[in-house]
Amino acid sequence: MANMITKDKIDSFIEKIPPAPKILSETVALLNIGELTKAAKIAEGDLALKSYLKNIVNKPIYGFRNEVSDISQIFGILGVSLSQQTVYNYMITLLSPKKWVLFKLNAKSFHELQANLSKKWETILKHLNIDDKNIYAAISLLPASVIVTEALFAEKIDNVNLLRTTKALDFNTILIRLCGVSLFGICEKIAKKWDMDESIAQIIQASSGVKPSRDEKINNLGKWMHLLLFYELSKPEFIEAGLNDFVDFQIEYISDIYDEFASLMGVE
Amino acid sequence: MKAVVKNGIAVFSPQGFLDGNSSNAFMSIEDIEAATNLKADMILVSLKKVIFFNRNGLDIFIKLFFKIRKKNHAAVGFCDYDAKKYEAIKRFFHDELNFSLFKTLDIAYLFSSSFKNQNKSVLIYSSDKSQRSAIAIELHDGGHNPVIAQSEQEFNEKKEKKDAYDYIIDSTFLGQMGQKVATRVTGNAIIYTISSFLDIEISDKFNIEYHNNSLNVGFRLFIFDAYKVISMNVHALNFFSKLASSAAEYNATICFVGMKFDKTPEIFRETMEDAGILFYAQMDDILENKELLKELGASSASNVKNKRVLNKETVMELPKFIDATVVTLEMMTNAKAIKEAANVHNLIIEDKKGKIASSIGYYGDIDGMVILVFPSGIAKKACELLIGENTDDIELILDTLAELVNIVGGKIKTLLADELINVNITLPRTYQDVDSLLEVVENRKGVQVDLSFNGDKFLFFLTR
Repeated sequence: MANMITKDKIDSFIEKIPPAPKILSETVALLNIGELTKAAKIAEGDLALKSYLKNIVNKPIYGFRNEVSDISQIFGILGVSLSQQTVYNYMITLLSPKKWVLFKLNAKSFHELQANLSKKWETILKHLNIDDKNIYAAISLLPASVIVTEALFAEKIDNVNLLRTTKALDFNTILIRLCGVSLFGICEKIAKKWDMDESIAQIIQASSGVKPSRDEKINNLGKWMHLLLFYELSKPEFIEAGLNDFVDFQIEYISDIYDEFASLMGVE
Repeated sequence: MKAVVKNGIAVFSPQGFLDGNSSNAFMSIEDIEAATNLKADMILVSLKKVIFFNRNGLDIFIKLFFKIRKKNHAAVGFCDYDAKKYEAIKRFFHDELNFSLFKTLDIAYLFSSSFKNQNKSVLIYSSDKSQRSAIAIELHDGGHNPVIAQSEQEFNEKKEKKDAYDYIIDSTFLGQMGQKVATRVTGNAIIYTISSFLDIEISDKFNIEYHNNSLNVGFRLFIFDAYKVISMNVHALNFFSKLASSAAEYNATICFVGMKFDKTPEIFRETMEDAGILFYAQMDDILENKELLKELGASSASNVKNKRVLNKETVMELPKFIDATVVTLEMMTNAKAIKEAANVHNLIIEDKKGKIASSIGYYGDIDGMVILVFPSGIAKKACELLIGENTDDIELILDTLAELVNIVGGKIKTLLADELINVNITLPRTYQDVDSLLEVVENRKGVQVDLSFNGDKFLFFLTR
């Protein structure tokens, strides 16, 4: 079949998402009630998680002088909200493909995207005086939209390229028009499968820029997240990866927060 | 990032923040290569989805543009911006604006030489007097009716009468233009506007694909508006002689109007006349003379003398052509297409009512034309992915159908390339009704394939 994408394919993709591994869900649950030490003990049991955490917190953007390697130390430094966010980031990486085809990404550059988004989201939330674990964690789900796009469209790369030389359609629009499902809707399903808080899914939906939330607070967070995404996707490495136009940037949606964002991020 | 090409304009649409670092990343070496090879009149960057840019960010694009421009003479610049962005660009570049600025992409289309929608009344205002005239002259050359507002006040007053104008142009700046030979269509004649000194560059500036496509779809009269030509050299002479002999194959006529020979050797005129080119003093000598028009072949598009037959090469590759069509339609509709019957004969369309059609030509190692005929409801369905909403706007549907066959053409090109057969595709053409299509392909034999998807029938016709 020459179909671009079918509803069946989307269903089977969602079907195949594994439930959150036991260690991870226990770690998250313990972090949720503020039990950092216990959570770290459990997390030690997942070597891949341990290496991911080490890798992430030692990135320059986190700005630690000495290498941090012990999980309880890492959780201690990050605090509850950021620890939970980082564990969610790790869970999202479990979905990423071994080899990227549609986007020119690899494990390293994908982690870079996650780290940049997370760190800047923290800056934004501090600026907005928001201290809510779930809202911190919401940013983790955003890069899932990239993974979903890769998973659904990788085999159709030639068709996509052909279509996009004739009309500038983003992946979200193609998906909605062909199957009535949005990329961010699929992310929401991932969140549900992993028992992430309801508010996380709502912020992600709003951050698509095409589905504003009626809840003013959530909608405002959606705007900040939407703009943050395109701030990151304007970085050369992600433009080169083909991510700049994977979804449409909704300039009008974020126009009222732009000046505040620009001064916070030091855009000149 | 790849460019989207429509109406002869290639547009890049970056999103977010454009600075010295990011701009470089938008175009890879392959993208620049691809853009250079596009047969586009203009290469533009849309600023619609750019929220922040600085001079460095724009500078990089401009440098890339000029590399491209050197090779293919396309006009280059930016489009889709608001007043704030326009002022910022003008502030960044002061007097060094050597590229063009179009407030919207639709305004840019007016200046594209392959834009077929002519005769628009256009209100123009620019605070710069010479820009006002430059814009008006370009539009007039392209067959539009420009109206210049002499002051901002006059502009604002006239602007209020929205129905009086098809387009309103302000915040627009023409950099180096007129690099390509402008084209306009009057009835069944195609008018090319040429000017100043004609030399070897005419072969780059003249859109030969467009010309060949026009011949192939049935245009038989081509007029060169040469009032503004000062002189030509032997290279230009050779170019026109060759053009005339290839036109003769199609029984088409080439005329020159208003050409003066005070600075061009008189012998050139004889050579051109020998090649079959006719000379007239005034445009009206041709356009107002119905008898002559008929004689020159412009009264009807149907007098195709050279009926070229389908050859073995084309028939051998038939499955590729059908595949390209089927794959594209399946991709656009998520439905499965079924081949019902295939026959070699003249195009037969049983029920002409409510059908629209679209065609695209290809040329290179092999050549020919693919025609798709749809009941308009099916065409609408096939275009849903591209349009995104249910519409009855026939202009929009035809426009989108052209995009669809463009995708089919692109697919044909790649499928044939797998077999090491190189072809290029022409601009797509659409037909609002079956009769205008039949005028073009009447008496041409071809392969007709009846296809159906989800029980809906449409027709594929391949001819030369």
